Amino acid sequence: MRKTITILFIFLLSGISVALAQNITVKGTVVDKTGTALPGVTVTLKATTIGTQTDANGHFSINVPVNGTLRFTFVGYNAQEVAVNNQMVINVTLQENTTDLNEVVVIGYGTQKKATAAGAIATVGANDLKDQQVLRVDDALEGRAAGVTVTSTSGAPGAAPNVIIRGQNSLGNSSPLYVVDGQIWDDGGYDSINPNDIESLSVLKDASAAIYGSRASNGVVLITTKKGAIGTPKITYNFYYGNQSVTKKVGLADATQYAELRNESVTNDGGTAPFANPSQYGTGTNWQDVIFGNAPIMSNNLAISGGSDKSNYFTSVGYLHQEGVVTPDYSDYKRMNFRVNTSSKPKSWLTYGENFNYAYIRSTTNFNTNSVFGGPLSDALNLDPLTPVVVTNISAQPNASTYTNPNYAPYLFRNAQGQPYGISAYVANEIVNPIADEQKQIGNYNWAHNLQGDAYLQIEPIKGLTIKTDIAAKQSFYGSESFTPLFYENANNSNLPPATNSQYRIMQQNLEWNWDNTATYDRTIGKHHFTVLVGQSSEEESGYDVGDTNYGEPITTEQQASFNFALPQTDRFGFGGDQQPETLSSLFARAHYDYDEKYIIEGIVRRDGSSKFGSDNVYGTFPSILAGWVVTKEDWFPKNTFVDYLKIRGSYGVLGNELALSPFQYTPIVGSIGSYVYGQEGGQTLVTGYGPNSLPNPALKWERDKATDIALDATLFHDLTATIDFYNKASDQLLLSVPPPAYAGVSGSAYENAGGITNKGVEVQLGYIKKFGDFNVHLNGNIAYNKNTVTNLNVLPYIAAGAWQGSNTPQIQRSQVGQAYDSFFGYKEIGIFQTQAQVNAYKDKNGNLFQPNAKPGDYIFQSVTDVGPIGPSDRQFLGSPLPPWTYGFNFAASYKQFDISVFGQGVWGNKLLQEYRRLDLSTANYPISALNAWTPTNTNTNVARLSDNDPNGNYKNLSSALLQSGAYMRIKTIQVGYTLPKNLMTKLDMSRVHVYVSGDNLFTITKYNGFDPEVWGGSNQTGGVDQGVYPTARTIRVGVDVTL
Amino acid sequence: MKRRYIKYTAVSLLGMSSVFVSCKKSFLQLNPKGEFSESSYYSTPDQAFAGLVAAYDPLLTETGGNDQTYTDVRGPLNAASDDCYAGGGGSSDTPDWQLWNDYQLTSSAGPQNGYWPINFLGVSRANTILSKIAGVPGLSSALASRYTAEAQFLRAHYYFDLERLFKNVPLITAPLAPADIYNQVQAKPADVYSQIENDLKAAIPNLPQTVITSESGRVTQGAAIALLGKVYLYEQKYTLAAQEFAIINGTPGGTTPGFGYALQASFPAIFSPDNKFNSESIFEINFTPSQAYTWNNWDSFKGSVYSEMIGPRNFGDAIYAGGWGFNPITQQLHDAFTTPYYGGGVKDPRYGYTILNMDSLAALEHTTYQGSYENTGFFMLKYAPLTKYLSTQGTNILNFPNDYIEIRLADTYLMEAEALVQGGGDASRAAALINAVRARVGLAPVAATLANIKAERRLELATEGHRWFDLVRWGDAPATLAFKGFKAGTNELLPIPLTDLAATKLVQNPGYAK
Repeated sequence: MRKTITILFIFLLSGISVALAQNITVKGTVVDKTGTALPGVTVTLKATTIGTQTDANGHFSINVPVNGTLRFTFVGYNAQEVAVNNQMVINVTLQENTTDLNEVVVIGYGTQKKATAAGAIATVGANDLKDQQVLRVDDALEGRAAGVTVTSTSGAPGAAPNVIIRGQNSLGNSSPLYVVDGQIWDDGGYDSINPNDIESLSVLKDASAAIYGSRASNGVVLITTKKGAIGTPKITYNFYYGNQSVTKKVGLADATQYAELRNESVTNDGGTAPFANPSQYGTGTNWQDVIFGNAPIMSNNLAISGGSDKSNYFTSVGYLHQEGVVTPDYSDYKRMNFRVNTSSKPKSWLTYGENFNYAYIRSTTNFNTNSVFGGPLSDALNLDPLTPVVVTNISAQPNASTYTNPNYAPYLFRNAQGQPYGISAYVANEIVNPIADEQKQIGNYNWAHNLQGDAYLQIEPIKGLTIKTDIAAKQSFYGSESFTPLFYENANNSNLPPATNSQYRIMQQNLEWNWDNTATYDRTIGKHHFTVLVGQSSEEESGYDVGDTNYGEPITTEQQASFNFALPQTDRFGFGGDQQPETLSSLFARAHYDYDEKYIIEGIVRRDGSSKFGSDNVYGTFPSILAGWVVTKEDWFPKNTFVDYLKIRGSYGVLGNELALSPFQYTPIVGSIGSYVYGQEGGQTLVTGYGPNSLPNPALKWERDKATDIALDATLFHDLTATIDFYNKASDQLLLSVPPPAYAGVSGSAYENAGGITNKGVEVQLGYIKKFGDFNVHLNGNIAYNKNTVTNLNVLPYIAAGAWQGSNTPQIQRSQVGQAYDSFFGYKEIGIFQTQAQVNAYKDKNGNLFQPNAKPGDYIFQSVTDVGPIGPSDRQFLGSPLPPWTYGFNFAASYKQFDISVFGQGVWGNKLLQEYRRLDLSTANYPISALNAWTPTNTNTNVARLSDNDPNGNYKNLSSALLQSGAYMRIKTIQVGYTLPKNLMTKLDMSRVHVYVSGDNLFTITKYNGFDPEVWGGSNQTGGVDQGVYPTARTIRVGVDVTL
Repeated sequence: MKRRYIKYTAVSLLGMSSVFVSCKKSFLQLNPKGEFSESSYYSTPDQAFAGLVAAYDPLLTETGGNDQTYTDVRGPLNAASDDCYAGGGGSSDTPDWQLWNDYQLTSSAGPQNGYWPINFLGVSRANTILSKIAGVPGLSSALASRYTAEAQFLRAHYYFDLERLFKNVPLITAPLAPADIYNQVQAKPADVYSQIENDLKAAIPNLPQTVITSESGRVTQGAAIALLGKVYLYEQKYTLAAQEFAIINGTPGGTTPGFGYALQASFPAIFSPDNKFNSESIFEINFTPSQAYTWNNWDSFKGSVYSEMIGPRNFGDAIYAGGWGFNPITQQLHDAFTTPYYGGGVKDPRYGYTILNMDSLAALEHTTYQGSYENTGFFMLKYAPLTKYLSTQGTNILNFPNDYIEIRLADTYLMEAEALVQGGGDASRAAALINAVRARVGLAPVAATLANIKAERRLELATEGHRWFDLVRWGDAPATLAFKGFKAGTNELLPIPLTDLAATKLVQNPGYAK
């Protein structure tokens, strides 16, 4: 007790002594070296948390002891310290920090000074993103970070891109791990993070990711959201409104051309021309004009932040409303965000805080993008131009009876005048009139509520030691609603009596939580600085879904649909499911030591236990080591050369990947496999069969990736920063789903640790900042080259991928040892047969014709086996859908009140296959290139003759003739802005008002003739296969950023 | 105090962690949801039956195989025969069917990618349940022997199809240990046949002669005997074949004692979904209209999608629902009915129940339909999608109720007649058998010659999936299927799927090297 009193007394005394020390109010102005006032500079009393910020005019005022020291810090400028020494006015000129070496980077369970970082860590900050239209956090990485390949999967509002860091390095899942403010997140839905809330993105590309052990090999993206800063509350409001339009329509035959091409194809096969006098059809319907439209986008964002030395807060609300350029009337995406981030430091040794995000998303996403099985894009590409959008004269239609048929007529989709939408007399299957189909989509939407965040408590029992416990979770509720009326779209797409209407609802929930406990000890003794982190983490993911389908509600339209209608139980189809749970329990440590920021060494180790692995291999250990040497800090290094700073660094680590594996593959599992029907009408029962559903492998282990990185960081000529990384990621023990031979009779594939992939590459990142009088220039660029090679597939000669509806060899991509992952595999085209004699002369040494079915006008394929006829074994590798080269560049300049920025990115070296035309529908519309098809009178062409039967497989065989270069360079954003003058701001009591006009995706330089060279995903989930991807829109925006 | 408090906090934080770490073993041991660990399964009679059902499942596979395409047992076989073409939306619609139709099969593409895996899936599931039955607690010996017999029948059925389609197949009669998977070699066809015979002979005594209505679709003794007869016929063991068929057929035209088999009086009634498991049905694949399947159920359809596939495109009236125009009937089959082999110059009475002349129907109704690829205007009636059978729930075109009777009495009559003629058996019984089939549709008797039996089989069993097998086993395929490009010495068999030649010891069938 006495001790307590003593301590209290000492506390009181020290308080008094502070009070006794004389305080004065210091005022001043902070400017940059050109004399321009710097608003928002943090001014703190050194070694305390007392502080303020400069106002719009760079002025500050602070009450401090006369003998204190003021510290001025501002992003992008070198910190400066000034002793007060009884001065009442202190004016400061901050020097720009061109090297950013004092910048702090987020590295997982902590931060590190960039100067002492030895890992390959790319960072993207809020400043990099502010002039660009960033709608999703993962989109933000495109073109910004060397070695990070972001490919849009769809231009539809809200669509997730495909992100790959340093190449495809798994046969299963190559998605990076996302960590948002310490919350581990690996199952998608990243669009619920408001991009405006992001303070920084750190991408751990090399062994530095090892702190995330078993999930590090695909790279780790660390997202840090904004926090409040000490000073007066800061209010920012950002708004923009834009108009989106489609950048490109593809060339398709018009009605006359279509009829001519159909005649050509049918007569080439010896048939009778189906269309007499093609010119009678005129130009017909341009279905692309029908589906594409202008679509508005609006973004509002309001953030309020502030703080004191004891606590800080950041809170924001955001609202994004975007329509899509494909059938804009039913393409809609709305997102509402709410975020509160706070932290408090009630005691010098105690900090607690939380980061919380809520997002509501409502979207219509039923565009079936990149699929040949219907949807507006596939419809527009394949529907014949003869069919009218709306039928005004039914009797003139070749299929008039379809419209008058009493079984269909009541269920046709009609316009406001009651006229039916056109139904093709030529093209059916999944291909329907997209405007009619739009009506079927009314009332269909997806929704999601996402609650995500973390809460932490941190204590500092002794100086330098921080113990932190952090519980983070993401709880998502999501689902969709739809209604199917009675309708008739074509013979294959109808819902006619005796069928009934149906209403469908599904609700899903998913919970992912992790609880991390860490202790960090950070100490500097003289020039020795070391940081030690030890930690433990537990994680669980689970989820379920329930849903219902009601058949035969006593209504006709979606507006009336309700699950409240009393229906017989036989018309209510409920369903549900459980997600297989997964758990992870981990221990990890990191030790960092540097001497005078000159010699740096760091070791990381993580031991993960996972529920996905068998009792033999529950745990995996992932160590790594990193080292750095700042050469320019050596005494012997010549001064005053063009080299201002040079760091050599390297890392080696073993990283894991478990995302590729489904749960319970290690143990023999009996599950439902198939079913059979017994009994007769009225008493039929469907009995579910049970049996082993795959071959277990109790020896399953983690995927491993041995990652080496050698790099240089340099500052040259004061203003130019450069980073060059050379890396080699050799993955072995990849989880390979080995489909056993079919005669083994198991439907599921067995997993083995048998695959190998190597990624080798170079990344260069350059930055340049220079000021010429009133003219500021900021240049950034990055370029990366990655070589991907499959090195081991165990017993498998190759893994086939891709599917091409209607082709002779549907699987068109192959992963094979020595080749890049999922390379195109087909015939090499070496010309076009001009004469039958040429066909007859193309034979092997035994006199067998290579292409016995060929006719003049058909492609000549190269023989690999030198044995005729040409068959599947004559296929060869034709290029990779993954671009080896990726690059991005950013140019920003400002002159007085004006600013401009240009941001672009591109890829080079990949191949694309365009599969727009449905091969199985010979009546589908043709690309415009078909007009140049070989005919006896048009022989100087590289387009093979048309033929419905296509006996030579010109269009049904994948060949080099059908592949196109996927290279492109895209100007993502050009923005021109104007900042209102200071004196006006002072009058308005505002800090900053910036207005701008911006163009996104203004133009793309590419030889690819499809909608968009950015192609990924679709129904095949593969790269480089374009079945009609939803194109990225061009957006013209006007916006305003206000800071109070 | 302050320091001590911090220490307590620190210790308790670390303590919580260590508690968590110490119990992590159980934290990491999870049980699968909705599945069982194999060691705990097969422990009740119900679970044994579920294991048997899994072995039944591949019998009714409409979509699947290595390439996830349509593999209904009838479609590709009809496309390969002279009964039908592949048809569909175009020359690339369902390429497996087109390639067989055109005899352009390669090792990488063709219906083998469906048939091979589906039948081996059946073999493996039969093997699994056969290895488990003995250890199932509480399973009565009667049920155990019935389940065993059903699994033996199913294994024989799958191997018979494999043998007929591929001939050179690995013979696997027990669950494969993972280490043995890649060591399998192709067995001698005679060994496979002898395994099939043994399975069926073992199964027959333990199967029920008839089943109660709720068990319709389960294997019966009659099915096993008929299949054994058919196996003998394919092996050209004619006397043995005739012996087995005689048990099933009884007195031609009468009702078989015990089994209750009798020809249906009305020919179309055989195929009516309202008359499932009728007296003529010996082995019937049971389809259901009641599962409200949608496209999301691609891997599990048990409604008759084949009915939808064969309907006329862009058509629908009060009687016939539309479809996708697959398997249009050839002019050859049409002509076989309109100028029948037995002369007389009148259409065979079965024509109107086998072939729908769409062109004349459309002309009559003033409607249109869209000609499919290789359209002839002739459509299949036995499994036709009728408007009245459109389901009310799910995607109605995927839920037709039409069953596939794989073995029916008229077939076993004709097979016995053939076995008798080929094997020099009782000629008068052979004549009685074929003429019973003919008398049912009001046709005059013919002589029981091999040629007549072949021609009668074609008319009676048209589009039921037997024609291609018949042509191949008779050796008639090269001549009859020449118009489609059939290559003798190669196209009698399907190629072994390329995917199963990689890394295994299997050898490709002759003529399919590339």
